[in-house]
Amino acid sequence: MKGSGKPRIIMAKFGLDGHSNGIRIVSRWLQDAGFEVIYMGLYNTAEGIIKAAREEDVDIIGCSFLEGAHMFFTKKLVALAARNKLRHVKFAIGGVIPPDDIHKLKKMGIKEVYTPGTPKDVIISGLKALARKDASGVYN
Amino acid sequence: MTGNAEIYNAYLAGEKPPNYKTWSGIELKEFYGADDVSQKPETPGEYPFTRGIHRDMYRKRFWTRRQQSGFGAPEESNKRMKFLLKEGQTGLNLNLDVPGELGLDADHPLAEGDIGLVGTSLSTLEDAEQLFQDLPLDKISTTIILAPPSSAILMAMFLLVARKRGIPETDLIGTIMNDSFAQLVGPTLEAVERFFPIDASVRLGIDVMEYCIKHMPKWNILNINAYNMRETGINAIQEGAFSLSLVGDYIQRLLGRGLNIDDFARRIAFFSDMHIDFLEEIAKIRAMRRLWAGMLKERFGANDASCRFKTAIQTSGLQLTAQQPLNNIVRATIQTLAAVLAGTQSIHTTSYDEGYALPTEESHKLSIRIQQIIGYETGVTKTVDPLGGSYAVESLTAKLEQEIVSLMRVIEDKGGFIECFKRGWIDEEVNRARYEYARRLETGEQVVVGVNAFREEGEETKINIFRLPGDMPAKRRKYVRNYKKNRDRVKVKRALDVLLDEAKKGVNLFIPILEAVEARATLGEISDTLRQAENFKIRIG
Repeated sequence: MKGSGKPRIIMAKFGLDGHSNGIRIVSRWLQDAGFEVIYMGLYNTAEGIIKAAREEDVDIIGCSFLEGAHMFFTKKLVALAARNKLRHVKFAIGGVIPPDDIHKLKKMGIKEVYTPGTPKDVIISGLKALARKDASGVYN
Repeated sequence: MTGNAEIYNAYLAGEKPPNYKTWSGIELKEFYGADDVSQKPETPGEYPFTRGIHRDMYRKRFWTRRQQSGFGAPEESNKRMKFLLKEGQTGLNLNLDVPGELGLDADHPLAEGDIGLVGTSLSTLEDAEQLFQDLPLDKISTTIILAPPSSAILMAMFLLVARKRGIPETDLIGTIMNDSFAQLVGPTLEAVERFFPIDASVRLGIDVMEYCIKHMPKWNILNINAYNMRETGINAIQEGAFSLSLVGDYIQRLLGRGLNIDDFARRIAFFSDMHIDFLEEIAKIRAMRRLWAGMLKERFGANDASCRFKTAIQTSGLQLTAQQPLNNIVRATIQTLAAVLAGTQSIHTTSYDEGYALPTEESHKLSIRIQQIIGYETGVTKTVDPLGGSYAVESLTAKLEQEIVSLMRVIEDKGGFIECFKRGWIDEEVNRARYEYARRLETGEQVVVGVNAFREEGEETKINIFRLPGDMPAKRRKYVRNYKKNRDRVKVKRALDVLLDEAKKGVNLFIPILEAVEARATLGEISDTLRQAENFKIRIG
């Protein structure tokens, strides 16, 4: 739980997109970098992810999309998080995301968007910074 | 990650590869000579077919240009297929969307975000009619990239479409994939087991194969999806060993139905990957031909015709980069050339924009042009297996063969591919390979131009990106809902009841599925009936 000093992140894929290379690899990187990774893997719904986010008291929800469903599901996720008053939880998205959509996602409140080929250290430092913002410097 | 600066400095000191290993880890010698080749010289078109399955190969007929396509509603995919044929494509290759692949109708709640995204949305027989409208199904070969249960249902739809147009099933040419393990982006339990039980899937695949063997002499019954396995990040040796071990399991099951090896083996094909490690990938395909031939002859007592290893090739999508996307045209061209030099039967050249979305018409066309340039301009098609006899290529072919055989033995000792898959061993291997692949890119051990070297910071992408019409999913949902209201429901129920009874008996289910399709049961309803027969519930959270 929180207080263990580790930033906590859910890693999940939405809907029916089965591409799991990216999420597996990034999950491993984050674990190695000291994150507590709650790996939810494939085939999740917004409801399931938000429920887990509450139960696991995570700092970040990380989702991966490779089949073009990112706008559809992100809208649902952000709306459901707002309804559940999960204000402290940040969102990060990775995968095959066309450049135009990155701006749209950021406008919706997605803090980080990582496309293929993003270096490991960029992802780790980005997510560490994201987790830290609300935890008043507990993580390092 | 190794910083750009370090890589640049290394290159300034004298450019050279960071190591001398193939991507699968085989250490290459400084040079190869006659001493490195123990294999007797071979002739193309003769057993064990290392140099190709035909004596005249591309001198007589080029490989089939077979670009995968499928997106949106069936009529949109039909339009794209006609466009590709007009531009010089010579075979069809179609994908359903993920709901369709998993046996869910477009109106299923779980389908809502994924309709028509990476393949055609298809739920009904009328959808199939739309999809194949005006396409000459007896003159141009069609590959249907589906796993059971959907492969069985679309095969039935395809037969009914042909029947309605007066084309006898004996004249239909093409391939049904039918491979249960890798269609959903790789052979992992996580991806495969959640929507349909694996044993029932394999059994149903065999049902379809059995029907095709007996009734459709020109149809290929099974396409081992080595490509999707490889795209997880496993290496060439694993691709070879996994796919050959898997096909051995399928062959055993077909023989178990009392079928004769020479009645079906020549109708089994592979779907292989072509990565960028030029020599190793060519050697892989050559080794696969030799291994298949040996396996069929020695283990299964097959005749020469059955010993010809046939493979479709797609160039790697995994190795395309989102950075500097035009570089992908170069990568795909080199991989396509490798596929040709390896002597493949058909090629899908992956489009350069697939790091962003599905291909546009423009990038799809470019993929066809790459193949035409190689076919008509480079001259590599004018003599068969031009690399045959190269010390390095022959030696590497033998090395790949040896490594693949060793790994096949490991799999064999654990009970075969299917057993290894069910026990999660394949998952472990795949995951290990994924991390290793990422690590090599991360450390710069493997250089990828534009990604971990020669990167352009602040790069802006200036390519056209494919977009689906925004109202398509809603239209599809509405169509399927209305369809279900406006048909003879008694007839549908009767057909599904028969299917359920038959499924519980464990007999061949192809005909009951065909009859259910004929009664206007949908893809999702038929899949659900099959799940019900297995007491299986979709697990999604």
